[in-house]
Amino acid sequence: MGGDDEFYVRYYTGHMGRYGHEFLEFEFRADGRCRYANNSNYRNDSLIRKEMYVSSLMMKELKRIIQESEIMKEDDQRWPKKNVVGRQELEIRLGNEHISFETAKIGSLVDVQESDDPEGLRVFYYLVQDLKCLVFSLIGLHFKIKPI
Amino acid sequence: MVIIKAVEGWIVLAVGLHEETTEDEITDKFADYGEIKNLHLNLDRRTGFVKGYALVEYETFKEAKNAIDAVNGTKLLGSTLHCDFAFIRAPIGSGGGGTSSERDSRDRASKNRAGGRRRGRSTSPTRKY
Repeated sequence: MGGDDEFYVRYYTGHMGRYGHEFLEFEFRADGRCRYANNSNYRNDSLIRKEMYVSSLMMKELKRIIQESEIMKEDDQRWPKKNVVGRQELEIRLGNEHISFETAKIGSLVDVQESDDPEGLRVFYYLVQDLKCLVFSLIGLHFKIKPI
Repeated sequence: MVIIKAVEGWIVLAVGLHEETTEDEITDKFADYGEIKNLHLNLDRRTGFVKGYALVEYETFKEAKNAIDAVNGTKLLGSTLHCDFAFIRAPIGSGGGGTSSERDSRDRASKNRAGGRRRGRSTSPTRKY
């Protein structure tokens, strides 16, 4: 696989608790395959898995969003470590750059401000929101039935 | 056994949107080609401006294709839009048969996706009448 063309994005957020391993995870592969998983045992609920293929224009847009965020320049060394409350993981392979971040859950901008790397963590915070926004739109449009 | 008829439309992706684009402007741009069943114009979570893309749903393939062909390369608020379908069929040989496809033969008559549910994919919700 050519180093220049590599593209892979994966985001995970989750925790262990009363309702089991509750997590949200999505992943995009260079060929457009997008996988989504959402798990919780709340009220005996179970894993939801979705998979779809997005077009190359969509992958291009996803790449643009990631590049413009400049997340590839950041480093999670000084970010809050995962804890009992939960963790987030973001892994991106873009061209010949590769990041793999792991940090605790971020409750709000206050957590960002009070961290040891507010600038970097802020980039992460907003990128994650933008990615989630995109994924939820895609999943909703692709799978959801509209009520009558 | 209830046969699931997923509500599916054809989702058009438009990128290159100007950051101040409004929903009305997108609606106006795309309404000529068919009734817009759904529209997502997501905002940048930090700035509040439009993130740069929009997802427009039409009921038929023809409407979506016409919209794509007509709008692709045109300008809105000075920014050039590029359009295409948002979703594609799983590439052959990847074992992806059964996932919903948006770009394929012009067989729009059958929207029934009951067959070929992929193992490992949760079923879509059934319509509650």
